Amino acid sequence: MASQRIGEIGLSETGPSTHHIPYSVYHGINNPSTFINQEGSAFDFGELEEAIVLQGANLRNDEAKARRPAATLDMFPSWPIRLQHTPRGSSKSGGESTDSGSGVNTNTLSSSIAEAQREAESPVSAKASSSLDHRKLQKPMDMTASDTSPLPSPSQSASKAPQDKRKGGSTSEKQLDAKTLRRLAQNREAARKSRLRKKAYVQQLESSRIKLTQLEQDLHRARSQGFFMGACGGSNISSGAAIFDMEYARWLEDDHRHMLELRTGLQAHLTDDDLRVIVDGYISHYDEIFRLKGVAAKSDVFHLITGVWTTPAERCFLWMGGFRPSELIKILITQLDPLTEQQFMGICSLQHSSQQAEEALSQGLEQLQQSLVDTVAGGPGIEGMQQMAVALGKLTNLEGFVRQADNLRQQTLHHLRRILTVRQAARCFLVIGEYYGRLRALSSLWASRPRENMMNDDSSRQTSADLQIVQATQNHFSNF
Amino acid sequence: MHYQTESWGSYLPVARPVGDPVERIERMAAESAVVIFSVSTCCMCHAVKSLFCGMGVNPTVHELDHDPRGKELEKALARLSGAPPSAAVPVVFIGGKLVGAMDRVMASHINGTLVPLLKEAGALWL
Repeated sequence: MASQRIGEIGLSETGPSTHHIPYSVYHGINNPSTFINQEGSAFDFGELEEAIVLQGANLRNDEAKARRPAATLDMFPSWPIRLQHTPRGSSKSGGESTDSGSGVNTNTLSSSIAEAQREAESPVSAKASSSLDHRKLQKPMDMTASDTSPLPSPSQSASKAPQDKRKGGSTSEKQLDAKTLRRLAQNREAARKSRLRKKAYVQQLESSRIKLTQLEQDLHRARSQGFFMGACGGSNISSGAAIFDMEYARWLEDDHRHMLELRTGLQAHLTDDDLRVIVDGYISHYDEIFRLKGVAAKSDVFHLITGVWTTPAERCFLWMGGFRPSELIKILITQLDPLTEQQFMGICSLQHSSQQAEEALSQGLEQLQQSLVDTVAGGPGIEGMQQMAVALGKLTNLEGFVRQADNLRQQTLHHLRRILTVRQAARCFLVIGEYYGRLRALSSLWASRPRENMMNDDSSRQTSADLQIVQATQNHFSNF
Repeated sequence: MHYQTESWGSYLPVARPVGDPVERIERMAAESAVVIFSVSTCCMCHAVKSLFCGMGVNPTVHELDHDPRGKELEKALARLSGAPPSAAVPVVFIGGKLVGAMDRVMASHINGTLVPLLKEAGALWL
């Protein structure tokens, strides 16, 4: 009742359209049932639409006031469906065919109202019959109103047929229709809004994706250039060397990962099959660095052979651009107990043959060096550009030696894998990896040690501690 | 037009004209237990020679730059060992059979097959 009065007041004072909004909101507050399941934003707009539409319809028809039914929660005064739909008839006939379910994305109020109108009409006709039964009893007053509705039927086109159906269905659904209208309009609005939001989100995602790929490309480019600049500190560095340095850095990261895998694999006491996979993976990891070095040797053999790509401590013990295989075997032979007699013999002969091979390659390199010295020193009969050409020709042999040395290293690792069991091989590679890791750590410790003239009491204590560690490790390494 | 089957190893016993480089190579390879085809100025050849001498083997070395038809022998050797013509030497034969270039020799030494091969050919006695 109170709501009716409010509605009346609203209607009686209705004049300029500006009043519509507060009344509709007020109506909305007083009619929670239809709005409980609505979203906040849709709520306002749908409600607004509905109010404007219905209020607008009300303005044109004072009869509606008279026929307002009693005690229901219906906030909007019901009026004959005929009258309800009359003002929309014009827009409806045009719009009937384009059901608003097509997802029209327009944001203007008028078009959405039109949409709501069209929307409201079509489902209402579907719902009319279903809601007929349970609404009839509730709204006896509507029946009386509905009786009068068929009378003034304006001469409309066949598009009024749905209206007639609804009329025939009954004006007992007047209230229902309004409610349904409202609800459906709001549903429609909510759906439209969520479609809009989804579209905006997807567009955002797409643009972010493009940005991401661009960033990745920039990063990759910058990284390669960064190494180009950073690796040499200003001096000239060939692109082949820069590329190798970058790939070596990545290989070191992979190495760290492999080491973790080996360590956890051994500690977890995996089956031999599982451990074999890890061990073979480590072998492939080493095969990879030898392949990379082969490529780099073609473009810049000096970079490899002088060990610029390694840390200082590693460089100190460098042999022909890498580790010395017999040295490695020496490290392992003490850490690989227990070995069977056969395994021990196998490892000893491996050490022996690798030593012989190293010696042979070293002698070959020595002869190359001597020959180069002779060429560069020059002498009668060979001078100037010819001298340089000969020297260049001799230098090309360097690549062959580095390749053979890497081949030796690779063969040694593979043969080691053949001699040892899976667990032994896993331990062996762990030892190798840890050894080189410590060698690299040694280099950084050495580089960061405080110099004599900067020492004070505190730092001297720290330095001596550091130096003790270094000393201990140095003694360990001095065996080689 | 004669051929020998016993020491050819991997080669097909096809009749070839005398003087054909491959035939010459095969003949030279069959003459000793260990035969190295080399070039006197090649440092890698020096390395392979050092290797065998270091093991106590006494190889027969053919310096192709001292051979009047060395060039064609080099080409034939490159084809046999699968190496590019610029790195045709060194090539090693043991017991008349082709072992290969430096990398194959190294690999066989590391995996322990070189010494038995040498012993079988009678180049090593220990």
